[in-house]
Amino acid sequence: MGMDKQESVKKLFTVQSAKVDTNRGDAYYEKLYAQCRARLDELKKLKPLNNRMDFTQSIEEAGLERRDFLKWASATTAMLMLPASFTPLVAEAAVMMNRLPVIWIELQDCAGNSEALLRSDGPQIDEIILDIISLEFHETLQAASGHQAEKQMDEAMEHFHGKYLLFVEGSIPLGMDGQYGTIGAKGETFVDHLKRAAEGAAAVVAVGSCATFGGIPAAAPNPTDAVGVMDVIKGKPLINIPACPANPSNMVGVILHYVLTGQVPELDSLLRPKFAFGYRIHDNCERRAHFDAGEYVEEWGDEGAKNNFCLYKVGCKGPMTFNNCSIIRYNEGVNWPIGVGRGCIGCSEPDFWDKYAYERPMANANIKAPTGGVEKTVDEFGLGLLTAAGIGIGIHAAASAIAGKKEDGGEA
Amino acid sequence: MTVKKLIEKIEGEAELDFSLKNGSVEDVTINFGFYRGIEEIMISKAPRDALVITPRVCGICNHAHLMAAVQAIEHGYAGTGISVELTDKAKAIRDFTLACELIQNHVKWFYLTILPQLEHLTKEESKENHALKASYLSTTITKALAIFAGQWPHSSYAVPGGVTCDPTYVDVMQAQALVDETVRFFEQVMTGISFDAYEQIDSVAQMHEIKGDIGRLLYLLGHYDMAKRGQSHDRFMVLGETTGFVQGKSIATTIANVDVRYVEEQPQSGTTAKAVTYKKRQYEVGPLARAMVAKDPLIRSMHKRYKDSLLTRIFARMHEVAYLLRICQTLLKGLDLRQDSCTLEGHLLASDFEGIGMVEAARGSLIHKTVVKERCIENYEIIVPTQWNLSHGTQSEKGIAVEAMVGSQSMDEASFIFRAFDVCSVCTTQ
Ligand code: SF4
Ligand code: SF4
Repeated sequence: MGMDKQESVKKLFTVQSAKVDTNRGDAYYEKLYAQCRARLDELKKLKPLNNRMDFTQSIEEAGLERRDFLKWASATTAMLMLPASFTPLVAEAAVMMNRLPVIWIELQDCAGNSEALLRSDGPQIDEIILDIISLEFHETLQAASGHQAEKQMDEAMEHFHGKYLLFVEGSIPLGMDGQYGTIGAKGETFVDHLKRAAEGAAAVVAVGSCATFGGIPAAAPNPTDAVGVMDVIKGKPLINIPACPANPSNMVGVILHYVLTGQVPELDSLLRPKFAFGYRIHDNCERRAHFDAGEYVEEWGDEGAKNNFCLYKVGCKGPMTFNNCSIIRYNEGVNWPIGVGRGCIGCSEPDFWDKYAYERPMANANIKAPTGGVEKTVDEFGLGLLTAAGIGIGIHAAASAIAGKKEDGGEA
Repeated sequence: MTVKKLIEKIEGEAELDFSLKNGSVEDVTINFGFYRGIEEIMISKAPRDALVITPRVCGICNHAHLMAAVQAIEHGYAGTGISVELTDKAKAIRDFTLACELIQNHVKWFYLTILPQLEHLTKEESKENHALKASYLSTTITKALAIFAGQWPHSSYAVPGGVTCDPTYVDVMQAQALVDETVRFFEQVMTGISFDAYEQIDSVAQMHEIKGDIGRLLYLLGHYDMAKRGQSHDRFMVLGETTGFVQGKSIATTIANVDVRYVEEQPQSGTTAKAVTYKKRQYEVGPLARAMVAKDPLIRSMHKRYKDSLLTRIFARMHEVAYLLRICQTLLKGLDLRQDSCTLEGHLLASDFEGIGMVEAARGSLIHKTVVKERCIENYEIIVPTQWNLSHGTQSEKGIAVEAMVGSQSMDEASFIFRAFDVCSVCTTQ
């Protein structure tokens, strides 16, 4: 790097990071449109499963206007990175979500993703979730319990064999023969439970950082030897929706995409859908202008904080975190961490719990490049380089680096 | 005869081993088979990593964990001579967001667990969509929380010395509107009377005025003769002190001070959960305990008639919703936005300290203890509310929930009594 450090950092952080193709040309979209149209027509012939409510009826009952629904549909179309002409198809697909069986299991988790889902987004989309998606089985939300519940799940798995989407929340403890987590009266281990549920699934969706990369339970020293779904399930289409909690809009997005196209969305090398994880937080951050202007919060509560300056120096990991929270935000879009002056902790990246947490600026954070990323962008982008270059910005002294060093020393 | 029964839908599951005699419950062992090792994970991490990691112990009471974690650090700093004085604004914002978390928890528990289970038990099933009500209310109030905390679950917006957010009047007004919306739900759906009228009720004699879904709860419990079931040791403990809650213990109705040094943890056989005692005795924590220690007139009046029964316990939790909603309104109204959000300067970092944080979480007193050496956590201890309520007990006395279940006429009834403690397995075992 011959360039002046300040310059090189600037270049790194201002370059467009992701290579998500949002315009593939008319011919491509025309073909896709025709495919989706045909698929929706096929689905229409199927009966709604499990006597789910009719969508139109249920939005009416909820007192929602059609206009609200269309607004949601067009936002969702944009989120899925489809041209606006797809909006009516997305709306139709939402209606058709009751034709797609979903089974949701919880392993070594904190129930945070189900919680987030209950509070999801859009025109009271909770209605869509609870009434429309054919949630054949959900370990926390279902009415039945005990043996009855086990029976329900077995029946759903058999009846929809090869057709259901399996959502998995929580990591899988492999230590002690899997005995750190068991489920049901027979004490089936989480590993076995997952394998059995995945066997008949059309595709498996891991939601939250625990299910995708092991999450908090996998934090050093990983007492229970926790891993993510992709370390256990092989030979199945698998979609990762990391973040802690995963954003409900992205869960709904994946289901919709599947209903619409019959396929899993385009994924990056960490199996994350590109429509959600194609950009860095930093690319669309509301504080970005302050970053570019070199205006930083130096410590919590200072003048910079009062003026919503950039949080890089208090440890924001937005420049190396791929996720769409800066666009869709949380809790019905009310806010997100950076909105309240809390830097991004990189919760959608592997190892965030050991490497990204708290207010170490990236330069001190001892961050290793994640394995993979959006195509080769993250790798090309070079987290190692970025970390080293970050020093040029000036380091906010943080105690945390020490913890990182200790861990690394202990790692094989 | 021993019968095993699996209790689900408690954010994970628990196994109850019942010993039955002539059909009634003689003893119960509560087991949780779940472990992540959060306390082990904290070791050798940076002290402030607790703010990011510990909330993730639980998707339901993550905010309480954040508050306990930040208080433990502040307490530790103070012990080394660094002064940590929060502004009233920072304190009020923290108390507000914590209150929102409690409200969403209570209402969700009511609609997703208590009402459906009670209807099932009494075979008085209704056609109402309880799940939708739960989701409507918790969505609304967690939006108010997120205005200040950025997101729910799993915010880390509280930092030593205050909070990271710097709200504007528009933010506060937005939050007020959401709290008011929640109040309307409480009036129209949960109680069928005005909020003011509800607050006037201060004795059992007036409780018939309560209609709505809480009215239905009272009716079902009364009609099916369950009002006096589920009594336990009648001993209560409150350790956290946020707006509205008073620290102390109450034995029957006598209130006394508490000292956290008498709190002890013991491992138990056959389960990953540890038990907690205060001076070797069992105490109940949670909304009922808080109302008893704070001498809430309505709950004291109920206690006089029904003791620490199922009815008093369940109602105390719903009553706390109203109590907290009023506190939310008061806190927002009193916010002086000109004050600082965070008062601790970043370079003031202690390298060796020991701190304790105590807060009232939805299910009761939550304690975090951190021991820091050379800027790394040497030991981290988390004592959660359910450890108090659901322990096996000691040689001399049964655990709180066990005592409450003993004497039940059926396992279904006993399981319902168990759920009335608002059980959460992920917290209990971490
Ligand atoms: S990813 Fe986060 S929200 Fe999801 S289970 Fe893990 S800790 Fe909870
Ligand atoms: S706050 Fe974070 S994501 Fe936003 S501009 Fe600054 S460094 Fe980037």
